[in-house]
Amino acid sequence: MRLKTSRERRILHVKTFFRWLIYYFLIIASFILMTSGTWLKPVLLVPIALCIAMENDLMGSAFTGAFCGFLTDIACGRLFGYNAVLLTVFCVGFSLVFELYLRQRFITYIVMTAAVSFLQCWLDYKFYYEIWDYEDVGRIFTGVTLHVWVYTVIAAVVIYLITRLINHFLMPKVHLTIEEVIQTN
Amino acid sequence: MREFFKSARFKVLLGFLALLVGIMIYAVTKGGYSVSAASFVNTVTKPFRIASNSVSMKIESIADKLSNADKYYEENQKLKAQIGELNKQLTEYDDLKEEVEELRKFVVIKEQHPDYIISQPAEVLGYIANDPFKSFTIDKGSAEGIEPFCPVVTAEGLVGITIDVSEHVSTVRTILSPDLSIAAVSSSTNADYGIIEGTVATAENGNTKLIHLDMDNELRVGDLMVTSGNSGLFPKGYAIGSVKSLGYETNGLSACAEIEPCSDITRLGSVVVITDFSGKNNEYGEENTESGEKEDSDEAENIP
Repeated sequence: MRLKTSRERRILHVKTFFRWLIYYFLIIASFILMTSGTWLKPVLLVPIALCIAMENDLMGSAFTGAFCGFLTDIACGRLFGYNAVLLTVFCVGFSLVFELYLRQRFITYIVMTAAVSFLQCWLDYKFYYEIWDYEDVGRIFTGVTLHVWVYTVIAAVVIYLITRLINHFLMPKVHLTIEEVIQTN
Repeated sequence: MREFFKSARFKVLLGFLALLVGIMIYAVTKGGYSVSAASFVNTVTKPFRIASNSVSMKIESIADKLSNADKYYEENQKLKAQIGELNKQLTEYDDLKEEVEELRKFVVIKEQHPDYIISQPAEVLGYIANDPFKSFTIDKGSAEGIEPFCPVVTAEGLVGITIDVSEHVSTVRTILSPDLSIAAVSSSTNADYGIIEGTVATAENGNTKLIHLDMDNELRVGDLMVTSGNSGLFPKGYAIGSVKSLGYETNGLSACAEIEPCSDITRLGSVVVITDFSGKNNEYGEENTESGEKEDSDEAENIP
C-alpha cells in the first residue's frame, strides 16, 4: 500500500484502531450473549474469529483466535485454553488460505465457516461427552451438537454482514499507482 | 506456502501456540480454581452478564408464553374460576417481595440445620452455554468463602456442587450430570440406598436417575430421596428429589428409578452454598485436586 502523506498515514492508524475496537466490542457482546439464558445458542465467537481472520493479517488473526477461544472456554465451561488452541490454529489456517488461495467471497466464507464450526462442535462432543461413554451419549450429538452447529452457521451470515459493514467503512483501501496496477496485472 | 513454513512469523506462531498449550496444562493443574485470566474476565464481565441474563430470561419467558399461548389459554380457562382470586393477589407481588420470599426460604435452611455454615444467597449468573446437564455460574466465589466441591442447595433441595471457583464467580455442576454421583437413601423407609447420577436421557426432562438399587427395594412413586451423607461431601438428610418412576437396569442386576429434583434446576434464580457442616470431610478437596476431576465425581459418595 502506498501512503503518500502523513495525513493518509494518520487516517490509516485511526481507522485501524477503531476497526479493532469495534471487532473486540463485537466479541465481548457475543460472549455476554452466549452466557445468557437457558436455550441452546450458537457459538458466536467461532464465526466472529473466522470472519476477522479472513480479512486481517496473520498475527492479528492468531491473537483474535486465541482471545475468542479463551472466552468460548469460559462461556461453555471448558478447560481454559482448549478452545484457544483450536481457534488459533483455525484462524491462522483461515487467514493463510484466504491470503494465498481463495478470494473473499460470501459463499467461500460460509462453506469454510460451516466446516470449521462443525469440526469445533464435533471435537467438543468427542472430548467432553463421547469420550466418557455416557449412556445414550448419541442423543447429545443429535439434540445439542448438531443444533448448535446449525445455529452457528445461521449466525455466521449475520456476523459476515456486520463485519463487512465494519470493513467497508474502516478497512484501509489499497492505493496503487498506475505503474503498480500494470505490474500487478 | 513453503515460504510461510520457513518464515519467522511461522516460528513466532509456533511459540505462541506452545504458550497456549502451556496455559492449558497450567489450567489443568489448578484443581478446581480458575486461572487468574479467567477469574479476571469473570469479574470484569460479571455485571454485564447479570444484566444480559436478566433480559434474556425475560425474553425467553415472553417467547415461551407466546409459543404456548393456546395451551395456557385453555388451562387458564379451566383454572380461572378456582384461582381467580389467588391470581389477583399474586400479580400484586413485585420483584422485591419475591426476593424477600426467597431470602426467607434460605433462613429456613439455617433454622432447620444449625450446623450448616451457608453463604449469602447467590444469584445465578447464567447457565453454561449449550450444556445438556444445565451447569451454571453463580455470583459468589472464593472471596465469599466458597471452595471447590461445596454443596449447592435451595430451600427445596440439593442442586449440585461447586467445581470451578474464581474470586467472585463459581461454576456449579448439577445433579443432572453423570459426572456427579451422590449416595441417597429413601426418607420413608430409611433402608433403600442408591446412587443419584444423571443420564443424558433423564437430563432432557430436567430429571436425574437413582441407580444401584436393591432388586427387592420398597420404594414407591413419590418417595423422597435424601442424601445419606456417608462420604462427608454432602450433609446428611438433605432432600434431593422424589421418585417419578421405577424400573430395572438393562443388565438385570439392580433396580433404578427416575428422580424428579425438588428444585427446578432448569430455572434457578438464586441458590446458597453450604461451605461447612458437621461431618464434612475437609480432606476431600485436597485429595481430589491431586487425582483429577473425573475420578472425583465418580467417587463423590459411597454406599455404606
